[in-house]
Amino acid sequence: MKRHYALTLFLASIVIVAFAAVAGSGSTSDLPAPPAIGTTLDDFKLPDADGAEHSLKSLTGKNGAVIIFVATKCPVSNAYNDRMEKLAQDYKAKGINVIGINSNNTEPAAEVKSHAGEKHLTFTILKDEGNKIADRLGATRTPEAYVIDASGKLVYHGRIDNAQNTANITSNDLRDALDELVSGKQVSKTGGAAFGCTIKRVS
Amino acid sequence: MRLRLLILLTVCALVGFAAPAQTPSAGVASTNKTPGPLVLDRVNTNDVAEIDLEGLKKILQRNPKDTRPLLINFWATWCDGCREEFPDLVKIDNDYRDKGLNFVSISLDDVAEIKTAVPEFLKSMKAKMSVVLLNVKDPEPAIHAVDATWDGALPATYLYDKDGKVVFKYFGAIKPAELRSAIDKQVGSKP
Repeated sequence: MKRHYALTLFLASIVIVAFAAVAGSGSTSDLPAPPAIGTTLDDFKLPDADGAEHSLKSLTGKNGAVIIFVATKCPVSNAYNDRMEKLAQDYKAKGINVIGINSNNTEPAAEVKSHAGEKHLTFTILKDEGNKIADRLGATRTPEAYVIDASGKLVYHGRIDNAQNTANITSNDLRDALDELVSGKQVSKTGGAAFGCTIKRVS
Repeated sequence: MRLRLLILLTVCALVGFAAPAQTPSAGVASTNKTPGPLVLDRVNTNDVAEIDLEGLKKILQRNPKDTRPLLINFWATWCDGCREEFPDLVKIDNDYRDKGLNFVSISLDDVAEIKTAVPEFLKSMKAKMSVVLLNVKDPEPAIHAVDATWDGALPATYLYDKDGKVVFKYFGAIKPAELRSAIDKQVGSKP
């Protein structure tokens, strides 16, 4: 009786392992899907590069916020430094705050801080240790933008514009979305794809 | 009796799991009646051809006479995840080209670098696969032509079977063992 029980257990464990092997097979990146447009984002807390904690709610302006996943080393993200800073300045006055999030495992807080200083980025940049918020938002690359209204509802998720080189911009998707949000209109184009560097996640 | 039943179930389960996984199709049935203008064969130089959105679509639709599985990798010299994985991709190309794998490497570098930084990088990597440079005014149609759920994160790797179905996709530097395992399943299969 005991022998059969052990064998049963052994065979059952083979089945479980086989199942796990297939379920965990890396045929696709195992990233969670981003929240759908219209979803209200849960509040979260992250430290800035000085270690001071901020909640998303406290950083959200009276008309909303733009979360942008950024990097110190990605040339695409860096190509947008001036644009992001200008966005922050232009829209702060209109009640929308730009919030940077650095989720890269390879870019520590000290580097985020010195990079922001060098590039004259004045908006708050939060450090997302263990890429938890990147996972929660299904963020995959830098730069990648999420716009929420004052209540935290997601109204836009995607690119800043259609060209790394400012001379080639023909579609200012993020600004268009922000202008619609500020004037109380429905955001008409809720996202857009562009090439960027994958976020360096903890493995 | 119960034990025999359990053994039978285990064997069935293992056989079931060993079957190739079904993944949603992102491939496009070829509508080309004529072969595409790009003949992507073994290269002796690191010359990089420029393609536009139409050129990308032709690569994805494939020459109907070409029944090789297709591996495509999107990268750029400015993307450090891309640079990290490149040596593994060069090895995979060397190992599988003669086994019937068609590998097209697609650079998203600025077209200004097509005769400079891009071939220099390929030379330093001793790359032998076909490389094209995608030059588009708006990246979005190109990104969506590949995959409606891709948002443009680089590097991005897609493996299609001989019928154009996606059997492997990955964003970020690949894990070579996983990609090789996926390729093995394709090159081992008879047309």
